[in-house]
Amino acid sequence: MAELQERLEKLLLRLDLMGMRVEQALADALRAIKDGDAKAGLEVDQRDSLIDREEVEIEQECIRLLALYQPAAIDLRTICTIIKVNSDLERIADLAASIGRRIKHVVEDGIDFDLYNSFDLLTESTTDTLGRTVRTLRASDTAGSKGVIDSDDLIDDAYRSFVRSVLDSEGKKTGGVEAAMTMINVAKAMERIGDLCTNVAEDIIFLRTGDIIRHADAFDEQTM
Amino acid sequence: MIADCGLRIADLETDKRRKNMMELKQTPVVDVTEMKQLHEFHSALPEQAERVETNTSGPVIVSDGFCLYYGSKAGVKDITMDIYPRAVTAIIGPSGCGKSTFLRSINRMNDLIPHTRAAGKLAVNGQDVYDKRVNLVNLRQQVGMVFQRPNPFPKSIYDNVAYGPRLQGIRKRSRLDEIVEKCLHDAALWEEAKDELKKSALALSGGQQQRLCIARTLATGPRVLLMDEPCSALDPIATGRIEELIRKLKTDYTIVIVTHNMQQAARVSDRTAFFCLGDLIEYGLTRDVFTNPQSKQTEDYITGRFG
Repeated sequence: MAELQERLEKLLLRLDLMGMRVEQALADALRAIKDGDAKAGLEVDQRDSLIDREEVEIEQECIRLLALYQPAAIDLRTICTIIKVNSDLERIADLAASIGRRIKHVVEDGIDFDLYNSFDLLTESTTDTLGRTVRTLRASDTAGSKGVIDSDDLIDDAYRSFVRSVLDSEGKKTGGVEAAMTMINVAKAMERIGDLCTNVAEDIIFLRTGDIIRHADAFDEQTM
Repeated sequence: MIADCGLRIADLETDKRRKNMMELKQTPVVDVTEMKQLHEFHSALPEQAERVETNTSGPVIVSDGFCLYYGSKAGVKDITMDIYPRAVTAIIGPSGCGKSTFLRSINRMNDLIPHTRAAGKLAVNGQDVYDKRVNLVNLRQQVGMVFQRPNPFPKSIYDNVAYGPRLQGIRKRSRLDEIVEKCLHDAALWEEAKDELKKSALALSGGQQQRLCIARTLATGPRVLLMDEPCSALDPIATGRIEELIRKLKTDYTIVIVTHNMQQAARVSDRTAFFCLGDLIEYGLTRDVFTNPQSKQTEDYITGRFG
């Protein structure tokens, strides 16, 4: 059965590579915002199809392995984790691409994110969390996963603070309501990326321990 | 552009919607009795292992530090495990790990091998199997066994099933008919064999022969069924029928099955024991052993990394 393990190793490498691509996509999209470079933003969007394709291929391989080897224990958990993380990474890439697409409006409306609270904190904490997620996945590191889950709160706080300051300004600073929408959408994409990083981290904990830590409170209620 | 605008508005709406959702959460949408019914429905789903956990009085087979030696060599060492009624317990492990030795100890089939010696305790229904006073015929009546290769007697189907009851002294034809029909029914062979009861058992297919052997075992009224790789000589269709049968039989019997087929163990059993080199390495609910085994050795075996 060594063949199954070999194929799983290869899949994990592909997933790691995908993680790095996703990290790159987000970094490029955020740099394009800073530089006000609409063209660079569109490139991020265009490169997304590469990640989409990779996602489909990884999923196909997972289904093949399930059908051919009927894996158990760590092998089964590995495949389940790959399937879930794969789709989460793809969605993070979609969100990065959606940020990329919006840079056109950022430039057109002359938006300056730095006029509002916490935007830097939001971008930095999102980039940092995604980076740590990818490294945690590579090392399948439980402690690192817990760190990722904890840092989602930081992203959420920064998001709320940013959105509050955009709403409070009533879009008067730059470009009116349209611009406010663009800004909120960009921030929302980062907030969602934080959530997806949490999902990935939870899946890594499942991979290592077999415990599903999601929605633990839902089960508390049931036993009441 | 229009679509894009739509999206943006939708995004803005999200927070409002979330707030509404939070409010909804405060007031119960589903009434409590309905929730309870739903919960009961889900708990009644065939999660057999859980049912076993709650519905049983106690174990049928208790092994406490049990060892069996072939001469000076230990076949199994210090096996401590409880086997529960109306459930399937699978024993898995690499060749020579002692799984068949342990299985055959339960109805003392190992006595047929010279120079065997048992130590520790092994009890069926509270009765120590290796007690000197044990009546072996009674023990094997209570603890039936099905072997790897179907081994029907070279007699008719009817006589195969009636063999045990006749030895027990049942002579009355109508009573024997009744037993034969019931056992063939329970072994899922009645429909196929009811018109050919006088036919030689050897004319049946391999899968049918194995089901006949199970019927023959059931005819003595056992409480426990031991199965030593009952499907290893069968094709996948016949294997499927035997597995289906095992699932049915476990409502009335305590079944212990030794199998080399890991998927089979995962499919049919409620609990799984992993043996290696005569030791019991891990014993637990099958769904746990196959998704998250506690021991590295178990994991290596069920994922095919060794063995």
